[in-house]
This record gives sequence, C-alpha cells and structure tokens, in this order.
Amino acid sequence: MMRLRLVTALLASAAALVAVSAQAQDLVTKDRVGPADAPKSLTLRLTGDGPTSTDPVWAEGYKKLFGEFIQRHPGWRIDLERMSDNIGQEQARMLEQAKSGQGPDCAAVDSFVLALFKGANVLQPLDEYFTKEEVADLFPFIRDGITGADGKIYAWWWNTDLRVLYRNKDIVPDAPQTWEDLKAAAIASKDKGMEGVLFNGGRWEGTTFDWLANFWAQGGKLVDDSGKPVFAEGENREKFLKAVNYFKDLVDSGAAPKRVATIVNYDEFNAAAAAGSTALFIGGNWQYGQLKNTLEPEEFEKWTFSEIPGPTKDQRSTGTGGWTFGAFSKDPEKVAMCAAIVKEIYAGPGNALQQQLPTAKALYGKYDVFKTPANETFAKALENGQARPGVPIYPEISNQIQVMMGEVLAGTKTPEAALDAANAAVQAAYARP
Amino acid sequence: MQTTQAATMAVSRRVAGPSLGRRLEANPFTWLVPVAVMLGIFYLYPIFDVFRLGLTNASLVGTGEQYTLATLRAMLENPALGGILWTTFVFTFGSVVGQQLFGLAIALIVMRGERRKLKGMVALRTIVLIAWVIPGIANGLIWQMLFSEAPFGAINSVLRLMHISPVAWLSDPHNAMLSAVISNVWRGTAFSMIVFYAALKAIDPTLYEAASVDGASGTQKLRFITLPQLRAAILVNSILVTIQTLNTFDAIISLTGGGPGRATEVLSLFTFNTVFRNYDLAGGSVLSVLMLVISLVLALGYASFLPRREVSE
Repeated sequence: MMRLRLVTALLASAAALVAVSAQAQDLVTKDRVGPADAPKSLTLRLTGDGPTSTDPVWAEGYKKLFGEFIQRHPGWRIDLERMSDNIGQEQARMLEQAKSGQGPDCAAVDSFVLALFKGANVLQPLDEYFTKEEVADLFPFIRDGITGADGKIYAWWWNTDLRVLYRNKDIVPDAPQTWEDLKAAAIASKDKGMEGVLFNGGRWEGTTFDWLANFWAQGGKLVDDSGKPVFAEGENREKFLKAVNYFKDLVDSGAAPKRVATIVNYDEFNAAAAAGSTALFIGGNWQYGQLKNTLEPEEFEKWTFSEIPGPTKDQRSTGTGGWTFGAFSKDPEKVAMCAAIVKEIYAGPGNALQQQLPTAKALYGKYDVFKTPANETFAKALENGQARPGVPIYPEISNQIQVMMGEVLAGTKTPEAALDAANAAVQAAYARP
Repeated sequence: MQTTQAATMAVSRRVAGPSLGRRLEANPFTWLVPVAVMLGIFYLYPIFDVFRLGLTNASLVGTGEQYTLATLRAMLENPALGGILWTTFVFTFGSVVGQQLFGLAIALIVMRGERRKLKGMVALRTIVLIAWVIPGIANGLIWQMLFSEAPFGAINSVLRLMHISPVAWLSDPHNAMLSAVISNVWRGTAFSMIVFYAALKAIDPTLYEAASVDGASGTQKLRFITLPQLRAAILVNSILVTIQTLNTFDAIISLTGGGPGRATEVLSLFTFNTVFRNYDLAGGSVLSVLMLVISLVLALGYASFLPRREVSE
C-alpha cells in the first residue's frame, strides 16, 4: 500500500513537472514571452541568440529558459524583436532609434560597437544589479569594455570569442611561443610538404582583427583616450611597423605562402587542415568545433591550439569579440528586468546552451561543457584578450590596415610608405566634420 | 426664342469643346502621369536625395546632419581616388572589349552552325546563357575556387598536372585585376552574344549572296558586311555593358574583396565600402554622383557615334 502511494506520488509529481514545463514553454511565442494581458511589459531586441534561433536545439533551449524566467517574474510580458543578420546596419539603426528615444527597452548590443552606445549616453547604468564580486570576476578586457568614463557599468557582456594558433601536433609538436618560434616551425613544416603558416591577409575585417594581436602584444594603441588615431605616432609607430614587418617577413621568408594576401575567410583554414596542406594557422576558438566536425576522428586528434605567439614569450594578446545586453529604458523597473534577463538567462545558462565562451572566470567551473581542457585553455588565453576600440573612426582604421597589409604582403609598398599612406587617410577622415 | 436658345447652346458647346474627361482622355500626358509619378517617387527622388546627401556630412551612425561642401572636397581630394578611377577604367575597358569579342565570336559560331544545320546549337546558346543568370556573388565564389592558390586550387592543380608552374592569380596585384576581368567577361559574354545574335539575324542574307558572287572571302565578308551592319548593335551593347560593368561590385567583393591592397577596388566597391563599412553616407553619395556622371558621359559619347536615321526614312 505504502509502495503504491509512493509510486502514485512520484507519477503525480512527474506529471506536474511536465505540465509546468509545458506551460512554461506555452508562454513563449514567436514574438512574446508571458501572457498577452500582463500589466507590465518590456521590449527586448535580440539576435538569433534567443527563442527564434534558426538552430532548433538553441531555439528549444531558449524557449525553456524564457518560459521558466517569466514564471519567476509574474505580471510581466516580454515583447520580442528580432534583428536581421545584417548586424552592422541593425546596430547603427538601433543607435539612431535610442538617441531619439525610440529604441527598445533592452537589447543585444554588439561588443564591437558598445563604445558608440556608451558615448551616445543612451545606456542606463546596471551597477545595482550586479555585485562587486561578479564584476571583479569578469576578464579584464570585458570589465573595461562595459565600464563608462564615470566608472559605472553600462552593459553586461555575456559571451566572447578569441583567436588562437592552431597546429598539427604530428608536424609541429611544441607550441611556438614567440614570433621567431612560429617562423622556424612554419619553415620546418614546409620540409614535410606543408605550405607554412596561414592567416587572414586579404581585404576584410578578419585581417585587421587577427593581426592587431601582434600590435597589442607590444602595448601598442590605435587611438588615445579621446578616440584620436595615434597608431602612427611615437612608440606606437615603432610597434606598428614591427608587427607589420613580422607578417612581411613570414611571407618573404616563405614561412607563409603569398596566398595569405587573398584569404578573406576563416573557412579557408578548415579547408587547408582537411586537405592536409597546412600544419599551422591563426583562427578563431569556434573553429575547434568545426575541425572536430570536418576531420576524421584520428585526424582531429592531431590538432591542438595555443596562445598566439608574441614578440617575446611574455608579450601576448588576442583579439576578442562577443555580445552584450544594455538597457535603453529610463524606467527603473524595466532596467531591473533587463538585468535579470541577462543574469538569469544568458550569462551562464545561455553560454552553456550555445557552448559560447563565458566572460566570467567562475562560469568555467560551474558548467561541465566549459571544464574540457580545450575550453580551459581558451579561458586562460582570454586573460590576454583585447577588444577593438569602439570609436567611430575604427572602421576607417581597419579599412586602411587591410589595404596596407595587401600592399606590403604583395610587395608594392614598403611598410613605412604603406603606414604613412594609411595614417594620412585615417587622419583626413578623422578631421572631417 | 427657342431656336435662338438652342443656337446659343450649340455655339457655347462648340466654344467649350468636348467635356473635361474627354479632353484628358485625348491628351497623351494623362496616360503618362502614372508612370511619371512612379518614376518620380522611385527613381528621381532617390537621385535627388543622393545629390542632397552629397552636400551634407550625413553618417549612418551620427546625428545633426549639416550642409557642407567639406565632404565633396574630401572625397574628390582623396589620394586613393585617382588609383581607384584607373582600376575602374582598366576593369571596365577589359570587360567591355572582352565581352564584345567573345560575344561576337560565339554569336558568329552559332549563326554558322545554324546555317549548316548542325545539331546542338540551341544547347550551346543555353549553356552560354547559364553563366549570365548566375548571381554576381556566386560568380565571384566560383572563380575564387578556380583561381585559388591553395595546393588544391582548381586551375593551378591542372597546371601542375601539365608540369606548368602555378600562377599567383589573386595574390599578385596585376594578375588579380586580370582574374577579375576574366570572371566578369565569363559572366557577361552571354548578354553580348544575345545582342549580336539578334543583330546578325537581322542582316539581309542577299548582301552575303552578292558578296559571294563577287568572290569575297570570309574575312572580307566579316570586315565589309558583318561589322558595318553590326555598328549600331556594337555601340548599344557598349553602352549597356559599360554601365553594367561600372556598377559591378558583387562579383569583385566575393572574388578579391578589392585586394590585394586596392588592386581590384573599383569605384562601385569603393562606394559600397564607404557607406556600409565606414558608415559615411555623405561620402558614398558623392561617389554615387560621380558614378552617375561617368556613366552619363560615356553613354552620351557612345550615342554620338550611333548611325542617324536618314531624313527620307
């Protein structure tokens, strides 16, 4: 009898749990979370990282997370808005809307343009919703990125990515630590039929972003605190030329093939790894998963990664990106709700769901998916992470670096002449009213 | 009295003429109004707005748009502009000449094949047309794979099989331009072929018969009959291909991205980069106006060579 009662109770609890879970998911529709007639509402503008994700696993996962969230916050309705894939245009438009008071209450802001939003004074401070310990646990570049000139935090950066040096252990057993190490390893790999080290060198943002790690590792600065381009002045100039000459030397010495000047896509590295034509390339952390899916298991076993080599062993850096959430609403209740969304749905559960690198060290120990040796190595490399300066002149700086890199690698200009031309163009653009 | 009234009404009707509706109906401008309104809203207004934006400092991310000549000056004084115009000229000239030559050659082959009742001529025309319907971005990606300098690149792999050393198709600045022209000619040849094929069909066959009677060789027929008869088609095709090539940026952006350096950055790609990468709406507008002016001048230049209709016709 006792046993029957226990079974009945267990069945009832299971049924209740299923019902609650189903009910939670029912609260999430394509454009709304929570009951339509809820007294309080918040507009939330998202990328694909949400219930409308094109990945069915992520979409289901976020539906569950949002459903449970809204049950913990009764009386609220979240109106969902979805950005298109044209992120640059979407963010530019959202900034204009926020400036005129027409923006969403809460939104995903690309870390790349966060400084533009901070500069426009459209974001509300989120300090009271995060503890000092939580802020201190963030990686340094993340903390700097979200902190305003007044020391307050204006967004919460919840996921990130970084660049590393991939290598085939069979051909390059030891991780190159310095620029010289990498050159030597790449030349040695050519004796084994490889084409040398590959990196982005064509006309696209990846070229600038990946190469900047070499400039940043020396402590170089693209812009000063006021946002003025200073990369061609004083010490920065020397560091800049040193980093350009490093890439030029890789190509001139044959450590890298001339074709790097045509690479405008990270997929080229996956293709080369699959074809067995390279043993070294500088790529993004997300490529580790792609290699796993592309290569045969025994081939994948040969691949590993390490921090991008620096001019010396101790001078390291890596370019980092990722997404943040910010609140545009001036209503304190809505700001609190926005902070709750990022805290309860994205920072942690969202990272684990999408296997995207968290921005806080503690989260790497909290979720099993981030306890793998690969993710622990990524976390270690993030200590030296550096984000691109979010100033309006950055796109022009990046454009000129891409042009310069092409001209230097193709041998049509000396690094000095190419830097002078790039600086003249950037300064002219900066001086425009 | 009644007679006088009726006469007065008849006169006034004659003076007033037909009703307003009837008059509007008879007026050709009434029928042109809808088209004019549509063109005005969707074509003329954007052009006007581009002119206006070119005289401002408008940015996709900024506020406080102000009227200024600084953008115009900055764009025209941009040291990169000269090189970009030269690159645009080389790309356009190479593409126009290449597309016309290959288009004419294929059209002549198809015509000759049809005259000899060879099988497969329709298939040949269709195959050539396939290249034309491929979107620019896809065209760029296809040629990127073909020109790839990786050990597994298609063309270089074939060259290696033939014991010929591989070519730096895209990493060498000069070769990169040649590669961009080849990919554009491949895509655009079909259009020229169709234009020339239609024009060749319209040539009176008695001209060739008379030339044969006079003992003219094939080369002489081409030089003295075909080419003069195709003059209008060549000029019209030149206008269309030039404008089309000047506007091409999708095939280049996916093939080379404009690089290495600025080796393949044509004016349309420079304009795209200015607006959508640098958020500089005003600068992009100035460049768009420049493209419009270049297209108009070239079109007028070609048009002045078009054969005029005789007065007696």
